[in-house]
Amino acid sequence: MGKQMTEMLKGTLEGIVLAILAVRPAYGYEITARLRDQGFSDIAEGTVYALLVRIEQRGLVDVEKVPSEKGPPRKVYTLNALGGEDLEEFWRTWSFLAERIEQLHQNIENSQEAGE
Amino acid sequence: MAAKWIETLTGSLEQKKQYKQDKARIDGLPEPYATAAKAMHRYFMYYGGITDGDTLMTMFGDLADLWERAAIDGTPVRAIVGDDPVEFAETFAQAYSGKQWIDKERERLTKAIDAAAGDNGKGAGA
Repeated sequence: MGKQMTEMLKGTLEGIVLAILAVRPAYGYEITARLRDQGFSDIAEGTVYALLVRIEQRGLVDVEKVPSEKGPPRKVYTLNALGGEDLEEFWRTWSFLAERIEQLHQNIENSQEAGE
Repeated sequence: MAAKWIETLTGSLEQKKQYKQDKARIDGLPEPYATAAKAMHRYFMYYGGITDGDTLMTMFGDLADLWERAAIDGTPVRAIVGDDPVEFAETFAQAYSGKQWIDKERERLTKAIDAAAGDNGKGAGA
């Protein structure tokens, strides 16, 4: 994953993961797999794991330990009310940012065209 | 009663037991997971800066969970850690928002700047 991609993802990955959990509860590996399917091919499983730990510590998700055939039980994460609020804020912030950045991009393109 | 009294001198016995268990889980991992987990464990001792025992215990427990899962699923070490292991370890540790020694200094810095700015943190500092 490119350096810039990594940096930009850092600020948005939490919102992305909350959005995935808003669709349905999931455990860590499922979330990583879905991110990879959606084109984040190089995302490290540990990155998602650390993020899940963080949102758990902040009380944005409910956690249920589900026994697995082998190894430690899997933690299944469910978005709770607090997480839902956080996700809404994420979308508001995202829309604002995306709109402004796109505007900036258009302005630059337009001024370049005018200069030609 | 007696146990409580002793623990004020020695720290929590329950925590020590938990720590030993988590350490044993890490030591018991197959290679290359044991090496990776031990390296992270060591780094946390230096980097962590977490003084709160409960938080530290949660962190080490989760570390053991992470690598046990990886070992069972056969996930490559690199697929867990990514390109930058330092970045990964620090992100992981930062997720545990327990009291850190740096918190005291953060508070101190904030107060010193408030006093210097003469605004108690309020107003636009004009």
